[in-house]
Amino acid sequence: MGNAAATPLLSCRSVSKHFGALTAVRDLSFDIAEGEVVGIGGPNGAGKTTLFEVISGLNPASAGSVLLGGQDITRLPAERICHAGVARTFQLNAGFDTMTARENVLVGAYFGRENRLAPSLRLGAAAERAADEAMALLGLSDRAEAITGSLPVIDRKLLMMASALATRPRLLLMDEPVGGLTDREVDRIIEAVRAIRGSGVTILLIEHVMRFLVQLSDRVLIMHHGEKIFEGPPRDLVNDSTVVDVYLGKGASERLRSFMDSRGAAHG
Amino acid sequence: MSPVRRDILIGLAFLIAAIALPLLVPGRYIVTQSTLLFVWAIVVVQWNLVLGVGGIFSLAQMALFAAGAYATAMLGFYWKWPMLLAIPAGGVVAIVVSLVVGLACLRLKGPYVALLTLAVAQVMYVLIVNDTDCFTTTGGCMPLFGGVRGIGQFGDIGLRALFPSKWYVAHYYVALALLAVAIAFSVVVIRGPLGLAFRALRDNPGYAMSRGISRFKYQLWIFGVSAFFTGIAGGFYAVHFRVVGPSVFSFQLLLFLIAMIVVGGLGSIWGPLLGAVLLMFADEAMKEFSDYRNIGLGLLLAVFVIAWPNGIVGWIDTLRQRRRARKAAAELSR
Ligand SMILES: Nc1ncnc2c1ncn2[C@@H]1O[C@H](COP(=O)(O)OP(=O)(O)OP(=O)(O)O)[C@@H](O)[C@H]1O
Ligand SMILES: [Mg+2]
Repeated sequence: MGNAAATPLLSCRSVSKHFGALTAVRDLSFDIAEGEVVGIGGPNGAGKTTLFEVISGLNPASAGSVLLGGQDITRLPAERICHAGVARTFQLNAGFDTMTARENVLVGAYFGRENRLAPSLRLGAAAERAADEAMALLGLSDRAEAITGSLPVIDRKLLMMASALATRPRLLLMDEPVGGLTDREVDRIIEAVRAIRGSGVTILLIEHVMRFLVQLSDRVLIMHHGEKIFEGPPRDLVNDSTVVDVYLGKGASERLRSFMDSRGAAHG
Repeated sequence: MSPVRRDILIGLAFLIAAIALPLLVPGRYIVTQSTLLFVWAIVVVQWNLVLGVGGIFSLAQMALFAAGAYATAMLGFYWKWPMLLAIPAGGVVAIVVSLVVGLACLRLKGPYVALLTLAVAQVMYVLIVNDTDCFTTTGGCMPLFGGVRGIGQFGDIGLRALFPSKWYVAHYYVALALLAVAIAFSVVVIRGPLGLAFRALRDNPGYAMSRGISRFKYQLWIFGVSAFFTGIAGGFYAVHFRVVGPSVFSFQLLLFLIAMIVVGGLGSIWGPLLGAVLLMFADEAMKEFSDYRNIGLGLLLAVFVIAWPNGIVGWIDTLRQRRRARKAAAELSR
């Protein structure tokens, strides 16, 4: 293997983000390799969403740097970071509420792929095809003409993922993709994430629902007060006393352990 | 019926009616007034792209019109350019002016854009009116921009020579053709990527940026794009009236044009055209009471802003939505 394969897809180096006197992210460093799925957990206010704001350029870092495939993207405007190959979904259901679902995805497909100097007269067949493919991958094809503001929560979450995918990202950031969903809906999102991963996209996801996080992640990162307090395989989470103390708690960590054991047995 | 289909049908209906008009009505007055209507319709249809589609509160549109008109007149007067070249050149000058104004406005919000653009127009007006130094003295003292008297004698597009008694009908059809192209262009912009970008930016700016839309870039584009036909309309206006003066900067005219957009429906495709037709009629009706014309215009604008902020087209859309909702409800209860 050459050097190119060794360059991490995403590399955060000593990233900090201050809001006045508050430090939401403190001196955080980690790498993500191409093809990985990495989960981020941590208590409310730990700085997880802020980390996404920093990486996606909507609220740039106060210090440190963010590299994508070795290229510094720390100070690029949000739209350029999207063109560089980072797409994200939001904790609160974001969407273009007055547009149809398909138009939402078309925005990503048309504007999200490359930096266009001039808008063309029509969206074009390539963008339309990309939008339809992304919707099909997430099972949204029959929702195409629905007005986004009137869609149920699960569809809005899937729609955010579809419009992110339509930008043809190398890295997808997902902020609490299953927050507020029922168990059955969570399973649907799990399927969706697996499909996205199967299409070759690297994934970084934030989630409080641990059963979701451990099922999907190759590696887990736990944040607390803006710092990384754990990084390792999901299996080691429940053995880490700091994580159990500040985040999971005794009861939840036992339940998580037996959940992982039962799955481990099932998968043999 | 698909929206594009509907646009084409409405456009064709309007075009056919407009083509037939000079053949059906007697006399000259209605034809020349309609020619003027088409000129203003071009301006408001393009202005609507910035105001209604872009959501940018620019009041510079008549300054762009003036830029096109003055550029056309000056190219003809000083350099003897043929008008068929000078008019498109006026469109290009309007684009340049619009991009400069757009750049200045990029980081400003709502009311500040209105103030700055109004100030730009006012400065242009004052510079033209207050300049009394003679730039040339052939045929009397003439300031560079013509001063209060304006610029004349810069040539023609040749239709007066070709149709000595019916030239005004020929001008009518030229204006109609320009309007048709300007409308087709605005439909393409509104239904195309630029329109999509601005709808996205209005719905959720942060989300739009994270999906690759640069507000600054598309704001500049909409400024540039809406200027071209406005400048051309200015050039045609100069040729049609054979003179360009500072009256094109009048506040009353600006108000008249804004009222067309608001009454018809801000941001909609057909609203500005409908508003232009209605206001020309209303203006005609109020001609007898010349002193009250401005008051009437102001009142009309106020009533619409308060009662029907989305104009007549917006009101029709609401009615149609309500009817659809009632139908859906009736089907459910069956
Ligand atoms: N724009 C902002 N201005 C000021 N403070 C902010 C801003 N955004 C976040 N914060 C603060 O930064 C801290 C981290 O917030 P953040 O939203 O990143 O947490 P989180 O880990 O995503 O929490 P949750 O699990 O509840 O979503 C919080 O104390 C929050 O109040
Ligand atoms: Mg959060």
